[in-house]
Amino acid sequence: MSNRLPTQPGEVIDRSKSLSFTWNGRAVTGFEGDTIASALAANGVDVFGRSMKYHRKRGIMTADHWDPNLFLQVGDEPNVRAGSRKLQAGMVVSTQNVWPSLKFDLAAANQLLGRFLSSGFYYKTFMRPRFLWPLYQKVLRKFAPGGEIHWKTSKHGAYDKRYAHPDVLVAGGGPAGMGAALAAADSGARVMLVEHYTELGGHLRWGDDAQRARAAELGSACEAHPNVEVLVDSTVTGRYDHNWIAVNQRSHPIAPERLVKARAGVMVVAPGLIERPYVFAGNDTPGVLLAGAARRLINLYAVRPGEKAVVMTANEEGDAAVADLDRAGVEVVAVLDARKGEGIVSVEGKGRVTKVTTTDGRTLSADTVVTATGWTAPTSLLNMAGDRPIYDPSAARYFSSGDLPPNLLVAGGVDGDGSTDDLEAHGRATGALAANRALRRRHDRVSQTARANPPTWEKPTEMADDRTPLARSAHPECYRSSTHGMVDFSEDVSSKDLVQASKEGFDSIELMKRYTTVTMGPAQGKLETVNAAAVLADANQVAMADIGTTVWRPPYSPISLGALAGRIHEPVRRSALQDWHEAHGASPLLAGQWIRPDHYGDAMAEATNVRSNVGLIDVTPLGKLDLRGPDVPKLLELVYVNKWQKLEVGRVRYGTMVAEDGVVSDDGVTGRLGENHWLMTTTSSGAGAVWEMLEDWLQTYKPEWDVHVTAVTGGLTSINVAGPNSRTLLDRLVEDVDLSAEAFPYFSVRTGAVAGVQNCIIWRIGFTGELSYEIHVPSGHALHVWEALLETGADLGCAPFGVEAQRILRLEKGHYIVGQDTDGLSKAPTAGLGGLVKLDKTDTLGLPELKHAYERDDLPILVGIQTVDGTIVPEEAAQIVDGDSNRIMGRITSSRMSPTLGRSICLGQVDPSLSAAGTEITVLMADGKRIKATVQEHHAHVDHEGARQRV
Amino acid sequence: MSEITMQSPVDVGSISASDGSVTLSDAYATTKVQVRAATGTAAAATLDVPYGSSTRNVDGDLVCGTRPDEWTIYGNPGRSAAIVASVPTEGFVTVIDITHGRAMLRVTGSNATAALSKICNLDLSDELTPNGAVFSGSLGSVSCDWVRADEGGETSFLISCERSFGKFLFIAVADACTEFGLSVPRGWELHPH
Repeated sequence: MSNRLPTQPGEVIDRSKSLSFTWNGRAVTGFEGDTIASALAANGVDVFGRSMKYHRKRGIMTADHWDPNLFLQVGDEPNVRAGSRKLQAGMVVSTQNVWPSLKFDLAAANQLLGRFLSSGFYYKTFMRPRFLWPLYQKVLRKFAPGGEIHWKTSKHGAYDKRYAHPDVLVAGGGPAGMGAALAAADSGARVMLVEHYTELGGHLRWGDDAQRARAAELGSACEAHPNVEVLVDSTVTGRYDHNWIAVNQRSHPIAPERLVKARAGVMVVAPGLIERPYVFAGNDTPGVLLAGAARRLINLYAVRPGEKAVVMTANEEGDAAVADLDRAGVEVVAVLDARKGEGIVSVEGKGRVTKVTTTDGRTLSADTVVTATGWTAPTSLLNMAGDRPIYDPSAARYFSSGDLPPNLLVAGGVDGDGSTDDLEAHGRATGALAANRALRRRHDRVSQTARANPPTWEKPTEMADDRTPLARSAHPECYRSSTHGMVDFSEDVSSKDLVQASKEGFDSIELMKRYTTVTMGPAQGKLETVNAAAVLADANQVAMADIGTTVWRPPYSPISLGALAGRIHEPVRRSALQDWHEAHGASPLLAGQWIRPDHYGDAMAEATNVRSNVGLIDVTPLGKLDLRGPDVPKLLELVYVNKWQKLEVGRVRYGTMVAEDGVVSDDGVTGRLGENHWLMTTTSSGAGAVWEMLEDWLQTYKPEWDVHVTAVTGGLTSINVAGPNSRTLLDRLVEDVDLSAEAFPYFSVRTGAVAGVQNCIIWRIGFTGELSYEIHVPSGHALHVWEALLETGADLGCAPFGVEAQRILRLEKGHYIVGQDTDGLSKAPTAGLGGLVKLDKTDTLGLPELKHAYERDDLPILVGIQTVDGTIVPEEAAQIVDGDSNRIMGRITSSRMSPTLGRSICLGQVDPSLSAAGTEITVLMADGKRIKATVQEHHAHVDHEGARQRV
Repeated sequence: MSEITMQSPVDVGSISASDGSVTLSDAYATTKVQVRAATGTAAAATLDVPYGSSTRNVDGDLVCGTRPDEWTIYGNPGRSAAIVASVPTEGFVTVIDITHGRAMLRVTGSNATAALSKICNLDLSDELTPNGAVFSGSLGSVSCDWVRADEGGETSFLISCERSFGKFLFIAVADACTEFGLSVPRGWELHPH
């Protein structure tokens, strides 16, 4: 550890705990408490990586989260921020974006081509010839920056998420933030204190003894306060409407990252200030670092940043860095005081600084350059609340315009300057104000929330905002020297690029940003925004205050996609029989949210068994709505196209619904169980929409109707018993219902006990075209009934069948499916509803459109179709075309091989001119072949007269 | 009928964190009766529990003001007929036994609120959601009806959802509880590896 210093008073490393890790394959060690970067720097590493575009050698610049040169690969994790990620034993750390090695990187040749790689290079170069773009893509991908993901072997596991409802959320754990948190908590507010780094304290952490002591006191007070929840190594990444605040918590035992979704009463923004670099030739040479970086390396990690340093200082941070360097044994060759007009012109050196040229013409020999030229106020969270910060030339930084919503307050360095006590006092005043506003809001919420008890405490009196603003210290405007240098270190955008962009007409800062990509890298403008504005102002010859700013949007700093995804909750619905299906080899079919048995091995055999014997299918996903009340018939008249007033108790009827535009929206069977008691079924996919639509009508348009709608889809497990033996089977298990054809005719409903289970609803309908019964069983007893049916019907050939067999059977019978054989344009005439639609009704949803539709003769018609060659099954959605042309005349909507007929069968929508029975049509297959098919007289291919089901 | 047992969508019974700070139990067998009654009916007057709150009646059943003009009554298993019979049906009143149609979980313990807050965006703090609170809200992306029904002085939530979502909901809640020491039964992981 060649650069490790003796014990420093404020160091955060534990020298008793040595951690071994590797750097580009070389074994090295650090201490617990080190960041990856500090441990490497202690081991004498100068060059950590190569820049994105020109592959210039890069070293430590900020030594914190924002360092643009410290993105490293750690194991299978790319883009790890080595400036803030804590070192762990066994880490395998390597450089990213170099080939073949960090020392000799072929892509560094880009530096020689730099004059040809100016802003907009890609846009200008790779547009032509267009046919070469795929080749360009392949080559450009080779140069893509960033590390490598190993997603097939990654063991990161799931990320995490939680919700929170603090009264006050404080973004920033420096003296102002901690002061705000404590004052708010003392006022009775529940506080969430979010700190970007792994310890509270902000800039006090690398300060003098008194500053560190105060940081420790405040930090301990926050940790101990029962009203304060402290999240360290966490970042407020976004502020959205009504103080919906996203916090990315990076270190948590349960997950690599956790997204905290907080709804805060008031947010206090106290992020402090971020030191910005100075622009001059060679400012990205390893060895050039910010004053804060030098101080952090020395004071927190006991790392000597170099041997001989030149310091350019415009503020107290630079002055303090001089003292720290001196104490660390670094020879300070020169101190250039920018307040007196002194400065740096350029730096030379390849893998490390060797020479420094100053504005007074000196050339100094040094390996380290330290700059302290000003601050960026990270106003991102204010921008997200609509603020447009204003530039103050006397302080050389931006400040809030003050145009902020009342639930957002600013504290600390973003507001102004001051001593530790000043900052803490400002924070405390802000925290008290925040608590007052938040507690008033909480009182309102508790009072207005039905589930809460009335508050037992008085609503606080509104507090005036009488905080004394922090002073603004004078600071010279130090942005760029007389030479050009790097502005955006993440994106390799230089001041020269920005000037060139301005000359090309991209002279608005927003346009320039998009053209040059300045501020669009991982640092997200924290280091480069102010310098970019200054360079543009200079290029445009306008005052900096007039150049404007880019708008900072979420996220405040990049966040992993895993954190955004969190735990993935995609609910799956299961019928009471799904476990049985899975245990008996059912192939799963995801149908919307439902998981269903597609088949049990042989769908064709299952269909044949239904035609020959008897089969059972679980049709629980059918939407089921229990309707009660005297006005149910009115509701049914309204939503169905047919009539319902005269349906007798004990009967069921098929109905179709259309939307206001006359398009078929749903269908199903509804039965009258009692005088004022009905059961409606809907399509599986339409259940929710139909329920919502009924409630919408009842609650909004017809509140005077007495109808109660209750969704009972999952409460009733639906079993369809189909096949010629179905009546025989049910006769063995149904105790109190006469199943004879005379007593229980087609389209009837009865209620009775099945296999000892009371209150089963049985209706006689037939989607498969066979004699069949649909039994709706209380779900807790569904498995008992299902197994009883199978056991009792074993000698009758009873076997389960899946969704695929059902689709075959219904297609043989010619029953259409809403959403498959119809689409978002299919009106009632297309579906062939014929006499079902009663146009003489006084009111029905979509009635005017229905009347209009039935006057038209140009709507597609759904027809039965059979291919001339019965061995060919056209793909569903295959186009029906006009002979040899490609003029579309319709499409196949459903197709299957029929086990009953031994040939293919289809339904399809065709142009009216092709709808007559016997018309020969052409089907264009996916492989381009055209086959002939014939329009059938009926939708049904099997038993169109219904003889099999009406027995 | 009595020999036919109710089959729950969640058949893992009750599981607890090793320190007992959170326990997740299947409560499917709980009798659940939904009552919808217009204002002014005898049923509304009898139930007399405001929307958003709950109370135990003389029979020990938990009567919840679930939505305006809607109540849910939770009772011990097998109390369906008795509860239904107890509700006056004069006027426009609907009484439905929804026991079979609603999966139900009970989440209890000192970490119950923290665990549920991982997958529910409602403020479950004591002040906004005191013991007895009744409300509806998404839990793990499943629409649920909730009752804060503390047991033995411990925070406890009774949560029901449409039966078909029951297994998923249980898995989602169990996953949320793992942070607090609950071990998820094999095969019930949200993100199995």
